Amino acid sequence: MENRWYDGLNLKKICGKYRVSIWQCPQFLFLVMGIIIIVAVLVAYVAASAYDQPELAALSVLILASVLFIIGHMIISAFEKVALSSLSKSEFISIMSHQLRSPLSAVKWQLNVMLSDDLRQEEKFSDHSRAYLEAIYGQNERMIRAVNDLLDVNRIEDRDLVLRPTLFSLFALTERIKKSYEKFSSANNVEIIAFSQDNLPMIFADEERIKRVIEHLIDNAVRYSTKKSEVKISMKYYGDQIDWKITDQGTGIPDADKPRIFDKFFRSVNASRYQTEGSGVGLFIAKSIIKMHGGAIGFSSELEKGSTFWFSLPIKK
Amino acid sequence: MKKILFIEDEESLQRAMGSMLEQKKLEILKALNGEEGLVVAKKETPDLILLDLILPKKNGFEVLGELKKDPATKDIPIIVLTNLEGSSDIERALALGATTYLVKANYALEDIMMKIESVLEHK
Repeated sequence: MENRWYDGLNLKKICGKYRVSIWQCPQFLFLVMGIIIIVAVLVAYVAASAYDQPELAALSVLILASVLFIIGHMIISAFEKVALSSLSKSEFISIMSHQLRSPLSAVKWQLNVMLSDDLRQEEKFSDHSRAYLEAIYGQNERMIRAVNDLLDVNRIEDRDLVLRPTLFSLFALTERIKKSYEKFSSANNVEIIAFSQDNLPMIFADEERIKRVIEHLIDNAVRYSTKKSEVKISMKYYGDQIDWKITDQGTGIPDADKPRIFDKFFRSVNASRYQTEGSGVGLFIAKSIIKMHGGAIGFSSELEKGSTFWFSLPIKK
Repeated sequence: MKKILFIEDEESLQRAMGSMLEQKKLEILKALNGEEGLVVAKKETPDLILLDLILPKKNGFEVLGELKKDPATKDIPIIVLTNLEGSSDIERALALGATTYLVKANYALEDIMMKIESVLEHK
């Protein structure tokens, strides 16, 4: 929706957004305070010039100052209310996500056992049954990722995302994630190929978080490949940094959407046209995590030709 | 055969972990609450402990603290396996002496087996 210059004056709309009453709405209170200040100055001026009694002028200024003090206090408590409601909301998200994770991890582990290659022959399921179990596993993983996204966004906003760096191989991690996406990518007619420069050094970063970044980027690349095609991942290093890059031959991103692609909840026009799934937080999370590592993230894209997303990380921070 | 103690109140998780450890030729000891976990740990001195944080009777942090205080159990590596992921929880568990901190929902049992094997190797 287009923003008009006078939208800033539409207090009903602004205060409606905060879901607070008019006397708890900072914008409205601030306006009232402004008017009172102007009145106060005028009254003091008139009082001082019209009467020969400076006490009266002083008194009227004092009364108005007290009113200003009360309104100031109302503004502060209104802000406090907004801040507290956001705090309790983020606590609620955190508690609910952990509640959701318990049954999700229980389902995951039961299926791990049922689908294990090491199961005794007589305990193994037929290929037919396995296909069903694998489908359930895939859907369960999707729910786990959605909960993780919810927690990550919450933590990024609360500035509570703490990195736990360890030394690991970015190539090995990519290979593992690629393997877990095999079913999803072949269902989408996409082949993922990953290659790396020889002797890629180990990297000191938060493996779990970088895993989420790579998952989001692979997920997007596969999802927006509309025809039978390849998704290429490559890794190389120079100096003290590693570059990780993924290229697809998908729908591409329209120029108009490019500046907002890393914004929270933003979904490109193409995203909603080709994909109904997705919450629009993946790239927002990816960017926040890479930035926290002191790295950089970016992309280039051409409509109907495909997109390339890349990130670079310092080998040691 | 190496012994792994799993302190976890959810029976279905105990069963799944037990069957996976069995496949890897590891022995599993089960405890369904914090107090029981401490008793079994002291009696059996397992090679490794898998510890949940939200537990009936004593919680995981208390169990972790007591295990690390007792000379008989302080050298047993402990992998925290939980669905809590607040930075303060992680810091607290690591400060108390946990070897690794894993979020259950993010690790398939096969991956946990790999972590267990690598911790046992470096013991």
